[in-house]
Amino acid sequence: MLPNARIPYGTWGSSYFPAWQTSALAEVNIGQFAGESMNRILGLKRVPKSELEYLIIGSTIPWHWKFWNAPLVASCMGHRIPGYHMEQACATGLQAVLLGGTEVENGGFDVVGVLTFDRTSDSPVGVFPERRAHERTRALADVWDNFGFDPATGNAMITAAGITARKYRSDRREVDDVAYHRMQQYFEAKNSGFLDRVLVPLDVLSVQGRPLGRIDDDYGVRRLTLSGLRAMPELDTCVTGGTQTHASDGMATLLVTSKDRVKEFSLRPEIDIQFVAKTEVRTHPSLMPEAPAFAVQRLLERCGMTMDDMAVVKNHNPFAVNDVIFSQVMDYDWRKMNNTGSPLVWGHPQGPTLTRVLIEALEEAVDLGGGHVLIFGCAAGDIGIAAIFKVSEGDRDK
Amino acid sequence: MTTALRESTLQTLGLGNVIEIFRRGQLPVDSGGLVDQVFGNSGNRSAMVISGANGIVGAGKTAQLGSRLQQYDIPIVALDFPAAPDGIGRQYPGLLRAFGPERANKIMGNVIRMHYDGKTLPRELHQLRPSFLLEAIPEILEIKRTHYAVFREAFPSIEIRSVTSGFPRSELGVGIAHPAFPHEINKLWEIVEPEPSAVTQLLWSLGLIPVPVSDNWSFILDVLFCGITLAALRYHHASNMPVWKIDKYVRKLVGPNPLRAHDAIGAAGANFLTWSCLHHLSQRYGDVFEPAAELVRQKDSGQNWYPFNHFRPLVDWRLEPDEMDEFRTWILGPLFHMTSLMLHEKRGHLSHMNAIGELCAQFRRGVIAMARDLGTEEVVKTVTAYHKLHPEAANSSWHPDAYAGMDAPEWQQLYVNAEHDGTVGVITISRESYSSRVDAELNRAIDWLKDEGLDRVIVTGDFHLSTQMIGADTSEFYPALDDVDAGAKVSAEWSRTARRLNDDFRISVGFVNGKRCLGGMLELMMHCHYLVAVEGADLGMPEVSLPVVPGMEGCHWMFRRSRPEHWSKALYLLLSGTAVEAEKTLGWLLDYSGPMGEALQVVWKIASGGDHGLQQRPLAAGALTGVPSEVSGLTAPDGELAADARKAIMDTVQQSCSAALTDALAVQTRHSAEFMISKACRNGQIGAEFQKTMAL
Repeated sequence: MLPNARIPYGTWGSSYFPAWQTSALAEVNIGQFAGESMNRILGLKRVPKSELEYLIIGSTIPWHWKFWNAPLVASCMGHRIPGYHMEQACATGLQAVLLGGTEVENGGFDVVGVLTFDRTSDSPVGVFPERRAHERTRALADVWDNFGFDPATGNAMITAAGITARKYRSDRREVDDVAYHRMQQYFEAKNSGFLDRVLVPLDVLSVQGRPLGRIDDDYGVRRLTLSGLRAMPELDTCVTGGTQTHASDGMATLLVTSKDRVKEFSLRPEIDIQFVAKTEVRTHPSLMPEAPAFAVQRLLERCGMTMDDMAVVKNHNPFAVNDVIFSQVMDYDWRKMNNTGSPLVWGHPQGPTLTRVLIEALEEAVDLGGGHVLIFGCAAGDIGIAAIFKVSEGDRDK
Repeated sequence: MTTALRESTLQTLGLGNVIEIFRRGQLPVDSGGLVDQVFGNSGNRSAMVISGANGIVGAGKTAQLGSRLQQYDIPIVALDFPAAPDGIGRQYPGLLRAFGPERANKIMGNVIRMHYDGKTLPRELHQLRPSFLLEAIPEILEIKRTHYAVFREAFPSIEIRSVTSGFPRSELGVGIAHPAFPHEINKLWEIVEPEPSAVTQLLWSLGLIPVPVSDNWSFILDVLFCGITLAALRYHHASNMPVWKIDKYVRKLVGPNPLRAHDAIGAAGANFLTWSCLHHLSQRYGDVFEPAAELVRQKDSGQNWYPFNHFRPLVDWRLEPDEMDEFRTWILGPLFHMTSLMLHEKRGHLSHMNAIGELCAQFRRGVIAMARDLGTEEVVKTVTAYHKLHPEAANSSWHPDAYAGMDAPEWQQLYVNAEHDGTVGVITISRESYSSRVDAELNRAIDWLKDEGLDRVIVTGDFHLSTQMIGADTSEFYPALDDVDAGAKVSAEWSRTARRLNDDFRISVGFVNGKRCLGGMLELMMHCHYLVAVEGADLGMPEVSLPVVPGMEGCHWMFRRSRPEHWSKALYLLLSGTAVEAEKTLGWLLDYSGPMGEALQVVWKIASGGDHGLQQRPLAAGALTGVPSEVSGLTAPDGELAADARKAIMDTVQQSCSAALTDALAVQTRHSAEFMISKACRNGQIGAEFQKTMAL
């Protein structure tokens, strides 16, 4: 897959993901913030923005002047290049990177920027005149009404989690154990300094140019005890306040380049990061948490690989039950995955979620000396997406 | 015979030395005679034409020259295309503010607006017999040449000056009079002509500041301003830092915010001019001047550099200390590189080159002073480091030898010069505000006169670059805002220098030759044994409004030099912050005020020991008693800051006056320094300026 596309090591970065309404990000045009932040991150990584030829942006929540799309975000970055916007709910962050690779592979560009972002705080309200509806006009609060109602199934996301947990007869105790373990993984990675290689503190200014706030932590992340998790009431089967993610705001970015130019940008030119394969599945109505496992199953079959071939396994897991079901379907120990944290803990800003997951996974693979990286997750519409990347480190891989 | 520490800048205008002005008791030229010479005698005046009169330059100069020439009945013809938007009308509010309605209406009434098609001059123009054309049309060489041909065909003897910022005289075939922004108020003009002409001397006599520069592609101002703009853009290119933030760091490091300035001037025109300047320079001098891609883009689009209001910057940038070093190299490296070229080509008097940056490009210190402060080795090191970041720039136009010889008086006396004729010395200050560099140069000038055996001195402005004395350079106080020792050091050192004017000479005469003398400059001048001012000059102590406590002995020296019945006036001057006409301070601050010629003669008589009829006011060395503790007629303070400042100044007056002269300096210094670390000072104008420019 995409043999000519590469991800230059280290030319990436993500904002912290503060929980909704906890930071200055609740007050910004997130498209502008993302563009300016990408510029800042590239500056810190010593990548002149003038080298970028194309920009793919991914977001799921409407933002002011969204009509103007990637070119506007590029202008906020300070570099006028073409590009487009894409979205696929919580698959956006991975799909955008894959599309970046496709743009390079198609031969049109050597250096493509991928930028994903969303602001769940104060999400916009859409007003839809619909004469066939008895209300005549419907208003939709983008984030919460979408979480609460899948028009194709009539169910909420959390309901899908409960239905799937019941299908797999998931054990509440195991789900709590997963959530607790994920928190430990996150805080270990944070305390070790690992996240400093991924996350960039950003200072947000008010309209008067004064400091509005520093985005320097995943505000809202809780460190719960196991007994505390066990004591939480269920909102649906195996789903509690501690075993599901929370809405947050943020952005994440990386570059995709051609094989010929990757060394110009990579902070460690000896590291090679390739695209290997990608697939998607759609499962039965309201069984979204099982979809990622099916996607991985399909991907491995088509590639002739097994989970044992994967050096790093990392997913978007809005519900802890996702990981329990994945382990059950794939016969894979959930303790071996998400070693540096996961969205279950650090939040769910939708668009950039899987981009951060990917960046963390690539850094982890580099620490391990290379190997295959499996990224997967669920998305609205009972979708599962999965992709494999390969990290090689110089002579070690030969 | 006149001996000078260095060449007087007046000499570059063909106007001799400053000491000759005093010796002759008159200015070297008078505007009436020069007006006759350029425009003909009264009753038969020819007209002045400004073409491109509705543009930013043309309209500004129509107002500036119109206001000065209106009294001589010289018709000002403002010529432009019929469709040009009205720029002259926009000058009216400024004229109204400066001159009041009656005079503003007269000035505007003297402007005759005419339209033309670029090829054929209006018939009515012939009746006005123009003798001088100031061309301010777009920067396109062929169009300019055609324009001159049209005028020369119609008026063969017409004097022409171009306001071009980039084309040399040798290409245009006319003289250059390149003015600086903002055009309605900035007095400085870069002049290119083989010898100082009557037109140039007329500009000087009208109170403007003509500065001769050599005939090269782009003149000093544009090399500096376009150069620092280019340096900022190169850093932008290398680092991704947004231009608005680079602007702030450039302002902190050097003084200007060049990209904001482009937007303020009008991005469409300014971007083109900067590109044009750099483009032509790069063709002749190499890659150090090559316009950045971002400049080409903005030139083509005419877009502003700063984001729109609806996209005000959201993500801040900060430079870590090591990044600050690299930033400094990116900015100062090319600036010193480009300056080496100007030095190598001897583009102008060093004081001119230095002053152009300060007066026209917002430099806190002129580029020559910046280089001097660093020293030859550090300057060369900075440029070498820049060449490592931008190797293409190293290939041409770098002249490190130009920075040799910094010990010469031309380098060392940028702001203060001294001349003498064996009997009387004249110290001239060419900077409007007093700084530590002026202080050091003033000490060197005093030392030189002492070494030359002089004990009579006149201290004055330079009759050229400094048209007023506005007080202390308040940026010098930034370190004192949180360091009482830093404040005490500035106050004590400057005061000791001021006392030298009283202590080191048998006779010292301060002469206020410009339109005002305020604050620290007035404190300096009042230390002279005699103080003379030209009629109409304003004298004042505006410190209370900043607020600061005067630090150069202003709180007791005036009292020691005046009788008790005048002390309430001195106190009012300090506590109100309001300037007063010089004539109103006779007897307690000033010894003589009169028209320029008479004042010059009085100054010379005092200094040379002639019969001047004035009694020197004695200096009371002991403790003063009876200094009033309140003064009538003061309006209520307009806030907490003003109230705090008045109290602090009153305390300083009381305590420094009640001390003996030998102790008063220390008392004044302590009060001044302690006030500078106070909340009142930090929340005042100086604190706000510091926050805006230095605390990023």
